[in-house]
Amino acid sequence: MVQFTVEELRELMDNPINIRNMSVIAHVDHGKSTLTDSLVQKAGIISAKNAGSARFTDTRPDEQERGVTIKSTAISLYGSLVDPEDLKDIPVKTTKNDFLVNLIDSPGHVDFSSEVTAALRVTDGALVVVDTVEGVCVQTETVLRQALGERIKPVVIINKVDRALLELQVSKEDLYQNFSRVIESVNVVIATYFDKTLGDVQVQPDKGTIAFGSGLHGWAFTVRQFATRYSKKFGVDKTKMMERLWGDNFFNAKTKKWTKIGTHEGQTLERAFNQFCLDPIFRIFDSVMNFKKEEIPKLLEKLEIKLTAEERDLEGKQLLKVVMRKFLPAADALMEMMILHLPSPAVAQKYRMETLYEGPPDDESAIGIRDCDPKGPLMLYVSKMVPTSDKGRFYAFGRVFSGTARSGLKVRIQGPNFLPGKKEDMFIKSIQRTILMMGRYTEPIEDVPAGNILGLVGVDQFLLKSGTLTTSETAHNMKVMKFSVSPVVQRSVEVKNANDLPKLVEGLKRLSKSDPCVLTYIAPTGEHVVAGAGELHLEICLKDLEEDHAGVPLRISDPVVQYRESVNGTSSMTALSKSPNKHNRLYMIAQPLEEGVAKDIEQGRIGPRDDFKARARVLADDHGWDVTDARKIWCFGPDTNGANLLVDQTKAVQYLNEIKDSVVSGFQWATKEGPIAEEPMRSVRWNIMDVTLHTDAIHRGGGQIIPTARRVLYASTLLADPGLLEPVFLVEIQVPEQAMGGIYGVLTRRRGHVFEEMQRPGTPLFNIKAYLPVNESFGFNADLRSNTGGQAFPQLVFDHWQILPGGSPADKTTMPGAIVETMRKRKGLKPEVPGYENYYDKL
Amino acid sequence: MAASVAPVLSTPAEHIFEDPTPITVPSSEARLSDEQLYLQYEIKRTVSEIRAGKWKRVALQFPDDMLVDAPRVFERLREGLGRGRAHAPGLSEPEVSDVADGVKDVKLDANRREDTAASQSADDTEERLCILADTSYGACCVDEVAAEHVDAEVVVHYGRSCLSPTARLPVIYVYTSKPLDLEAAVASFEQTYPDKSERVCLMADIPYSHHVPALAQRLREEGYTNLFATEVVGDPSSLLPNRTLPQAVQQDPAALKEYSIFHISSPPTSLLLILSSRVKSVHIFPTDTAQPTALEATTAQLLRRRYALITRLSTVPIFGILINTLSVSNYLAALTHCQHLIKRAGKKSYVFVVGKVNAAKVANFSEIGGWVVIGCWESSLIESKEFYRPIITPFELEVALVGDEERVWGGEWVGDFSALLGRDGNVVGGGTGAGREVVEGCGEEELVNGDGAGEGDWGEQDSDDEPPDFDLRTGKYVSHSRPMGRTRPSPAAPTLTADSSDVSTAPPATSSALVQRAAKSDLATVNGAVSPAAEYLRSQRTWQGLGSDLQRIAYERDDEGRIRGAAVEEGRSGVARGYAVGEGDNGARK
Repeated sequence: MVQFTVEELRELMDNPINIRNMSVIAHVDHGKSTLTDSLVQKAGIISAKNAGSARFTDTRPDEQERGVTIKSTAISLYGSLVDPEDLKDIPVKTTKNDFLVNLIDSPGHVDFSSEVTAALRVTDGALVVVDTVEGVCVQTETVLRQALGERIKPVVIINKVDRALLELQVSKEDLYQNFSRVIESVNVVIATYFDKTLGDVQVQPDKGTIAFGSGLHGWAFTVRQFATRYSKKFGVDKTKMMERLWGDNFFNAKTKKWTKIGTHEGQTLERAFNQFCLDPIFRIFDSVMNFKKEEIPKLLEKLEIKLTAEERDLEGKQLLKVVMRKFLPAADALMEMMILHLPSPAVAQKYRMETLYEGPPDDESAIGIRDCDPKGPLMLYVSKMVPTSDKGRFYAFGRVFSGTARSGLKVRIQGPNFLPGKKEDMFIKSIQRTILMMGRYTEPIEDVPAGNILGLVGVDQFLLKSGTLTTSETAHNMKVMKFSVSPVVQRSVEVKNANDLPKLVEGLKRLSKSDPCVLTYIAPTGEHVVAGAGELHLEICLKDLEEDHAGVPLRISDPVVQYRESVNGTSSMTALSKSPNKHNRLYMIAQPLEEGVAKDIEQGRIGPRDDFKARARVLADDHGWDVTDARKIWCFGPDTNGANLLVDQTKAVQYLNEIKDSVVSGFQWATKEGPIAEEPMRSVRWNIMDVTLHTDAIHRGGGQIIPTARRVLYASTLLADPGLLEPVFLVEIQVPEQAMGGIYGVLTRRRGHVFEEMQRPGTPLFNIKAYLPVNESFGFNADLRSNTGGQAFPQLVFDHWQILPGGSPADKTTMPGAIVETMRKRKGLKPEVPGYENYYDKL
Repeated sequence: MAASVAPVLSTPAEHIFEDPTPITVPSSEARLSDEQLYLQYEIKRTVSEIRAGKWKRVALQFPDDMLVDAPRVFERLREGLGRGRAHAPGLSEPEVSDVADGVKDVKLDANRREDTAASQSADDTEERLCILADTSYGACCVDEVAAEHVDAEVVVHYGRSCLSPTARLPVIYVYTSKPLDLEAAVASFEQTYPDKSERVCLMADIPYSHHVPALAQRLREEGYTNLFATEVVGDPSSLLPNRTLPQAVQQDPAALKEYSIFHISSPPTSLLLILSSRVKSVHIFPTDTAQPTALEATTAQLLRRRYALITRLSTVPIFGILINTLSVSNYLAALTHCQHLIKRAGKKSYVFVVGKVNAAKVANFSEIGGWVVIGCWESSLIESKEFYRPIITPFELEVALVGDEERVWGGEWVGDFSALLGRDGNVVGGGTGAGREVVEGCGEEELVNGDGAGEGDWGEQDSDDEPPDFDLRTGKYVSHSRPMGRTRPSPAAPTLTADSSDVSTAPPATSSALVQRAAKSDLATVNGAVSPAAEYLRSQRTWQGLGSDLQRIAYERDDEGRIRGAAVEEGRSGVARGYAVGEGDNGARK
């Protein structure tokens, strides 16, 4: 039974103050999808009976099967406050008690955190779900950090309180202590990533930004809700009551007075939170689960809960669910918390504009975004592509930040490489249709004004994964999303039957489109490679590819790791190469690039598009570079944005500007395929020391310089103690003390090492952080599980590159040497790494 | 390395004369005895064929490693021809004449000696022989152009040959046979094929081909029943290039799949690629090792690498076509074919003739995204990491341009383009739709419309741009919009379709600037149309060539406003390694 119509929703869209765009984020298995279900239940799309088990937002069969969310899913809901009086508590005044809530359920597994990034981009608020028992985990921290980076305001729900009550049988005070510990650790994370513009976003129960509940049972409450109930009874102001219902506040029943001291005449007083909020819940649990049949009706009457005749016959957990759901409906608590405390687009876009938009803050697009102006120029960011039932076609999923998107509107589609004023990566196309995305269903809608989330039909062919849609000719791009994961695990696929190749190619295209993080390409060896963030991610992608996107039988290789080539030291002498006609000479040395610089380049903090003076400033201030050197960076590579630099250190060389293009071409070429095993290079800085050139332009053309630049880059690299870089995972494992020995064993066998080990306060659980080379991580999960009796659950996320230890890659007897040799053989190269003499010319 | 002294801008003279191309090792064996020479270079057969053809001007083409023997072969031939005239009473008696002063045979000056022209008969013309060395393209091809320079009627080609059909001149092939250890070959064969009824084709590299019948004879004596000894024929597009086919295969080409090939001496890579998809297996009996054993040849890796190249080139907007032969027949047809293919795919092509291809020559054109080489089937496969942009063959070009929706790579490989030309009719006529109809830009959309009835109306509405291509190599989108190549009505219609060659003929009304920038979008335009090429030059190049700053130069003008030119000075002269500046006799610059 759908409680709202598209027309109603469309009407709400015009009023940005009454819109809430929010995503549900959390660690894996903390109960996001289940909680989302209770919200969906409120909006009435699925029947109340299935809520808590249907996982409405898990639209794929494998998501349902595995019980893990893979794709983020959006739904639009209609909401209103139970008590219209509450409207006054909304920071921005509104008179209408009708709210549109656009909610995105995101996956919790770290392998899919790119989906979270895509979801966060189009929302302004986040509901952070934390498990009462497990507390704040790795992924909780990661997603919180991402949210705050995007200037997204968090509210928290502490979930699975039923587990604490039923399984752990904790006392009220223990539960309170547990709650406050969890809240504290959430606030620690929030404080770490404090953003001045966003302001103080610490969560506090007495402010109403924290809810407690159980998604599975469908109930939740905020302190505010109880405060409302009791404020009438006590005749106290609601805000005052809220403050009293958390922290060290006690109600002395004898003196009928509030106090801050926990004892009265030698007797311990019960904490107000325990007494007023937890007590009714504990009583319900106690009487229902212990089958105290006579107590139940009394209790129900007291709490004004009415049950139907059928419901009265229920027993145990079933009855508990019904009672709790009637007593404290989760949707009401969550809806209230979101409506009251999460910002509307009109509010949020004011402070988010500068982090969202690449262009100047005073052009028409920026102003349109800032004001959330439905009459401004269209600014729409597509954050991901959603496959449709029509094979090979996608809905473009995104948010209108300014203007109004409607069917038939001709828009400029700007990809990530678009530069204002250029034609590159820009297409003009009409929007065919606009739609609303609601879980498994879509609803056509005529137009969508600023501040809303929508789906677009008919622009998918022009967008790879994300992009900006605009009607303004001067508009810059919306900022490209930065993912916290990188595709470091790869497998190659090939068709079993040669005639299926076009299907595979088409499938790879579709796969690449449907996932924000996956990378597909053809290696120079002719293999089709699919790269993902982790083993699970890759497994899902390949399954999709084989069963859905390509639909042909595939042969899939074992997972492999992509290495990078780098140097450990400075070239032992200046490398010299001469052009084929011997008339030109290039002199260079290679040296390692500071790790901080390489990381900054990869994360886009230092880039080729920056103003060279500003970039020089950053390099000088943050990384100790010489300013003159920093201003003379010729280029980045490979692909003009990689983490290798070419620096001009020549003095007064004639004609140097004429050969710059050729040297840069050679640089791009060489950094893409390094000298050791033709892997891409990383974190190397080359200095051009000197150049001698022929006086005649014809004798120093591209043909002479490009191959020479490549040779001299190779020679200087080989002279600078070259090494291989391997990717390393950061592993976080939560494990009970008795299983820790097994973890150490497994990690040591796989060249991993633990660098942090911390007990979770109040639990026997330990948090272990370790580094593990990606190469050794295949089958790590299974290995760990069998060695710890299934008690350890690791989260692996790419962290950094490290030099492959064990010696020179040119020496076949070392481990790096052996790896290089197999790589070279696979690529059909000579097994020996060439010596620098192959590229070095004598004077 | 901070130079304390001003760097020397020239290099010592010895570097200049270093040959950048790899030096081919001259045959290491001691010089052949006269007897051996007579046999290996088949003097007798050559003489009789020349006599029979009544050719009077003969060019002898040697590969580099056989040049040492060239003068002696020349002498023997001349003697042979002279004797031939003397011993043929019925014929007129020609006299051996000297070598014509060919363009390429300077080295042989010393060997040119005037023969004693004692008994010269007036009514007989003498044969003129000359030696051709340093061929323009590949030693395996007949250098018809060089032969025409010396006005030859026939070419004698020595050494291994690709046997590509020539367009203009008759050719006498001398394969210069090499010795083979027959016993070792037989032993190796038995080791490779234990089953005596195995179907095997015996093949040999051209210099060893005369051993095939003898080897086959020996093997039949050993009990092999299903042997087929190939013979050399001049048909590169045959299923076994340049070889005869077994009877069964002639009737049913698929039957070749049941044959294995035993190949004596390593075949050229292109031959290996061609064979590997057509036969059951290829075993190579090497001739350059002391203890030869036949090895199975695998080409899967190489083929995959070629596949990667092809997919890489499928999104390239500009192709260069390298002409690497001027003698193989049909090369012009192949050129037009390639140009047509590239144009139909909506891409640009330029034609280059650079002689022998090397990295420096092709890297001079860095805007070219990929190269197609039109050459003989053996030398077209150029695989080297040294090249800045990959080089592919016309066959591979066809695969590259076929579009991702249809590209199938079953491992077959065709080296000979005349085979392609024959196929072309079928491919296009058969309606595989290789060509995307670019101008309308509707090919793909129709496809979509056809099966897109399910979910909803996916029918495309008007679009100003075509959908971008997905570059499989990088996993990114590549736009193939061609603003200049579109036939869209526009105010500047008459010159809109012009490509860059029309740039110079800009209407006089406009300024003399090569590239104009539209004020609004700041895009480079040529004659009013947005030009990606001009934009590339403007934005991607930091150096735009001499004269790009002309507008900024203020000329000195005299009172009447005419430009006062500078006095003419003497410029530089000399060779590249060091010019003389000014005074002609100052010598090389330091």
